[in-house]
Amino acid sequence: MSVQSILESIQGSALASFMRDTNPAMQIVEATHVLAAVMVLGTVLIVDLRLLALADSARALTRVSRETLPLTWVAFGLAVITGSLMFTTSAQTYFGNPAFQWKALALLAAGLNMAVFQSFTARGIATWDLGKPTPAARAAGLASIVLWAAVVLLGRWIGFTKGYDFTIPPGVELVFPAD
Amino acid sequence: VRAFAEWLYGTAPSVAIHSTVWLVRLLQAVHLLTAGVVLGSGVMIALRAVGWQRADEPFATVWKRFAPWLASSLAVMVATGIAQTLGDPVREFTATSYWVKLALLLGCVAGTLLLNRAARRAPAATDFSSTAKLVAGGLILSWLAIALLGRMIGYDLAIWGSWSLRT
Repeated sequence: MSVQSILESIQGSALASFMRDTNPAMQIVEATHVLAAVMVLGTVLIVDLRLLALADSARALTRVSRETLPLTWVAFGLAVITGSLMFTTSAQTYFGNPAFQWKALALLAAGLNMAVFQSFTARGIATWDLGKPTPAARAAGLASIVLWAAVVLLGRWIGFTKGYDFTIPPGVELVFPAD
Repeated sequence: VRAFAEWLYGTAPSVAIHSTVWLVRLLQAVHLLTAGVVLGSGVMIALRAVGWQRADEPFATVWKRFAPWLASSLAVMVATGIAQTLGDPVREFTATSYWVKLALLLGCVAGTLLLNRAARRAPAATDFSSTAKLVAGGLILSWLAIALLGRMIGYDLAIWGSWSLRT
């Protein structure tokens, strides 16, 4: 089964038809996706700023993570569900859109950054849990902020491209209705 | 309101914004990023008041941690929001979501300040009253609604139907 045929079957599914044809399903899902994405960014930032020792310096990093990350995971779960629903509507177009590809790459890098931190960098956390994190931990925090901000911005960029990627020929004026 | 918005659309500052595509995109991007910081900080303050986050810390400590981030990101979010409104006043002013979002934002700012005031007036070890916790619960929902409504401005008719100011 080729990637193209998988995309075609996703786009041709009953769920995709429902999303495309039911007003205002897509609009509500998209708005919820934006809400979830900014919530992920806002809560991840709390942990990352602690990693960078720019905030919550008197509070143990493990504690800040334990308190905040459940909110992040809830928001992330919501973002994945709503993002998947949006993807079904134009799977082939999204898949070929460079902004979507970059977003997927940034998402993957953010996940990888988190996995490396959990598996290696955080091993000796007991020694710096209450103090200033190690340079590697601070680098992970900085990378996390950059990558999650990139995920949000690239998500917005998909909207700018209207799901397509093409160059408008000079002299051609496109008028999009407000709604 | 529509007449005023149409007049505003023709003014020099509005033309300068809506005719510069990269500026519109930059404003939207910054607005979105700062919305994340506003949401994160605002919700954390409200969650502390409810007692669901950092209950071991005095409210004053949580306030000191999150209020500066909330205030500064809110200032940027409002500034970029005003610039976007100026750039496309007809789209914004004729959207029900826009006015509801604005009202909720004002309510959130007032409610958050009220929580801090209530905390400062109460004895150190006292927990928030049930009323204050109710206000904080309302604030959490309102902060979330603000982010939701921001995106809904573009889909006002589909979302609000006959309640949309665009009808």
